[in-house]
Amino acid sequence: MMRATLVLLVRELKKWFGRKPVLVMSLLTPVLWIALFGKSLNLTNMLMPPGSLEGISPEMMKILEEMVTARLIELFGTTDYFTYISSGMLVVFAVFQGMFSGISIIFDKRLGYMDRLLVAPIPRLSIWLSKILAVAVRVTLLSLLLLAVSLLLGMNLKEGIGVIDLLASWSYIVLLAMTIASLYALLSFYADNQEIVFAAGNLLNLPLMFTSSAMFPVEQMPDWLQKLASANPVTFAADLVRYHLIGRPVGDYTAELVKLVVIALVMLVVSGWASLRWMNNR
Amino acid sequence: MRREECAVEAIKLEKTYKNGVKALKGVSFCIRGGEIFSLLGPNGAGKTTTVKILSTLIKPSGGTAYVGGYNVVEESSKVRKIIGIVPQDLTADDEMTGYDNVYVQARLHGLSRNEAKKKTEEVLEFMGLLEAANRKARTYSGGMRKRLEIAMSLVHSPQILFLDEPTLGLDVQSRRHLWDLIRKLKREGTTILLTTHYMEEADALSDRIAIIDLGKVAALGSPEELKARLGGDRIYIKPSLNQDLTSIKEKLESKGYEVSILNGEVIVKVKKAEDSLFDIINLLRNSKISSLRISKPNLEDVFLELTGRKLRDEEPLDSFRYRIHSMRVRR
Repeated sequence: MMRATLVLLVRELKKWFGRKPVLVMSLLTPVLWIALFGKSLNLTNMLMPPGSLEGISPEMMKILEEMVTARLIELFGTTDYFTYISSGMLVVFAVFQGMFSGISIIFDKRLGYMDRLLVAPIPRLSIWLSKILAVAVRVTLLSLLLLAVSLLLGMNLKEGIGVIDLLASWSYIVLLAMTIASLYALLSFYADNQEIVFAAGNLLNLPLMFTSSAMFPVEQMPDWLQKLASANPVTFAADLVRYHLIGRPVGDYTAELVKLVVIALVMLVVSGWASLRWMNNR
Repeated sequence: MRREECAVEAIKLEKTYKNGVKALKGVSFCIRGGEIFSLLGPNGAGKTTTVKILSTLIKPSGGTAYVGGYNVVEESSKVRKIIGIVPQDLTADDEMTGYDNVYVQARLHGLSRNEAKKKTEEVLEFMGLLEAANRKARTYSGGMRKRLEIAMSLVHSPQILFLDEPTLGLDVQSRRHLWDLIRKLKREGTTILLTTHYMEEADALSDRIAIIDLGKVAALGSPEELKARLGGDRIYIKPSLNQDLTSIKEKLESKGYEVSILNGEVIVKVKKAEDSLFDIINLLRNSKISSLRISKPNLEDVFLELTGRKLRDEEPLDSFRYRIHSMRVRR
């Protein structure tokens, strides 16, 4: 099982590294997001007291500024929206990458390579597993690059960040990526053309991203949105990763962790089982 | 349970697809170890479905099959170890090099890194692809792609090789080259199941042929045995006007000839065409004939005799795959 998975995983990665433009573009997308969106939306400046408040006493001005800062820290855990969004982008990026498991499966099916794999003397689950793990590896490498770029652009990590924080963040990002990859893998085994995957991507990515805390804090959302966000695995991953990377407090660490892991396990089991069922019942 | 008598045995195989199409309606045959066995039939006859069942890609709806003595459903993983399959559609990954395509197959079949490397080089050389080994498969010509497919199927030295329409879309030269390779494999002891709708191919390569049509085996035997069933040559007469068919038939029948009408032609069965031709032309000198041809015993006639239809192309294709296939073959 492991050996076949490894052989297939190497194939996936070799193909990925062979496509330089894809590599560059998948890296540029989130970099542009954080650079343009994160930098243009400068909340600290936006929320400062208007310059027209002339004649206001310096003491009063100071109080106003302190109020704004306190509110920002309450919501974002930092006064710097860029730091907030770049940590969230690491998580959103994992969601985007999850789709590639599906695309790879659809193309293997349509180009006949899947038939080759199905007649090879390997455990068929390894075909599915290699696609999920390929996403995990991609996300790992791209997250590291993205983090480096974010730091260059001015992201502030929490003080005294340790290896444990980095490892924990990595595991949550990868876990989320594998959850999403499972969803697309399941869809792709049963779908018969690539458009379904792209359509599902367009349909799901946006709500997954905005019904979570990845871009904006849940606390300021309307009630109904908060409810959605509190069931969205992207929220859990974003909250946990933020706690470790930028030190934004998280409501109930254990509860969010358990929910993230449970959702991931359920998705992986259902996806693996259903994919195997597709392969075995033809 | 191992069954030793046949290398491949199909017993009343049936397959009904989920869309309701009945592809197989009870196909039975036994392939002996070391022979080249062909399934000959038009597209849509059930050849590919049979190969897919025997190679464990899909499950039969009824009947059983044994490959190398193993049941294809219950012992599918054992079957997969001893077979190689060259599917009708191209399956190599065009983004990988020829070498990587073959090497991945070797590794998936359990060869160690060193063994896989050695066997990959060996089989690429055998297929005449060593020079192109480090090029991406998408740069290969149609003939090369087919040879790559075969290399991918041979790298683990299978005992039994399934070739589904191996020469479809190839030029004459590549076809001849493939035929030689198939014969070479047989000499090395590989049992080969070949499907084709080219009667010359079945005739030239096969030890035995099963003629398959509409999901059933219509006849089975060596090419010689099948052709002997015709009992002689055929003379095809095409009248200028279709309404003359019956009058021509009656004219010939009155002289004791065995005559039938099919697809707008009168077919006369004779022992030797050369001996009867003059007599027939003489009989028909007052009829308007647009063409007349002699046919020596061949499998096309056997098929026609058995099914009343010609071996020809009618199957709808997955257009996406077809386009990619033709793109690859054209290069």
